[in-house]
Amino acid sequence: MTESRPPDDGARKSSFGELVEPEIEVLLRVALTITSNRADAEDLVQESLLRAYRAIDRFDGRHPRAWLLTILRNTNANLHRRRRPGTIGDWELIRTARPAFGRAELPSAEDSFINDELHANLDTAVRALDPRFRTALILVDVHDLSYSEAAAVMGVPVGTVMSRLSRARDRVRKSLRLSPLTRGDLS
Amino acid sequence: MTGTLRQMLTCHWSARRIQRYLDADPAAPLTPGEVARLEGHLATCERCTRIVQEHRTLHRALSRWSGATSVDSRSVDRVREFLSTIDDQDPT
Repeated sequence: MTESRPPDDGARKSSFGELVEPEIEVLLRVALTITSNRADAEDLVQESLLRAYRAIDRFDGRHPRAWLLTILRNTNANLHRRRRPGTIGDWELIRTARPAFGRAELPSAEDSFINDELHANLDTAVRALDPRFRTALILVDVHDLSYSEAAAVMGVPVGTVMSRLSRARDRVRKSLRLSPLTRGDLS
Repeated sequence: MTGTLRQMLTCHWSARRIQRYLDADPAAPLTPGEVARLEGHLATCERCTRIVQEHRTLHRALSRWSGATSVDSRSVDRVREFLSTIDDQDPT
């Protein structure tokens, strides 16, 4: 009974694929941050994409990443209602990160400084943040999301993201004053 | 005295805009006038210039942590595969 499908079903699916394809990695990365588990992250992304596909007709075509991240957040909230919204508890995943080995180029003075001296202190400073502030910092500075995209994930207004981000950065920066972020050999 | 007070006020004004200046996020852009005033201040204020450098270094250090949550290519492939079948699973 293929006749029951609308005639533009293939085009709809194709346009949805084009919309989603560039965002798969971001969705998986943020999902991993939210769930702290790779299998759960995949499940969350797949469930979110299913919901997004069903809602595609109501999407205005603007800011697809923010739209998908909003669905991701809502899907996660529905799947895990006991989880407090706006907090991301994956810190172990990120804090254990080390710069990639085997870089082709020699590290710059700043790279060496970050690798050798800043990492441990930064780890401690970020860990000490209130989870709400830390979430904003991770989404924007680690995952490179825009204010709007981070707001979609956190379920708060853009202004709240900016406020939390600013406070998080200032607290981390000031807590690192004993191991200055700037040195004469940095450019 | 007046000059020192003016400098303090400008530092305070700048401190409230430095992160938006560095982020250049489309959701919260500075006006061209604000950018010009801030850059003019940074050209003469060592303290605020140091804060800018600290923010840049902090952002660079944090951005390198994204490797911790780097996505397994097999996960991407599985999601792509799911995407190709999503039509069939959609009950509507």
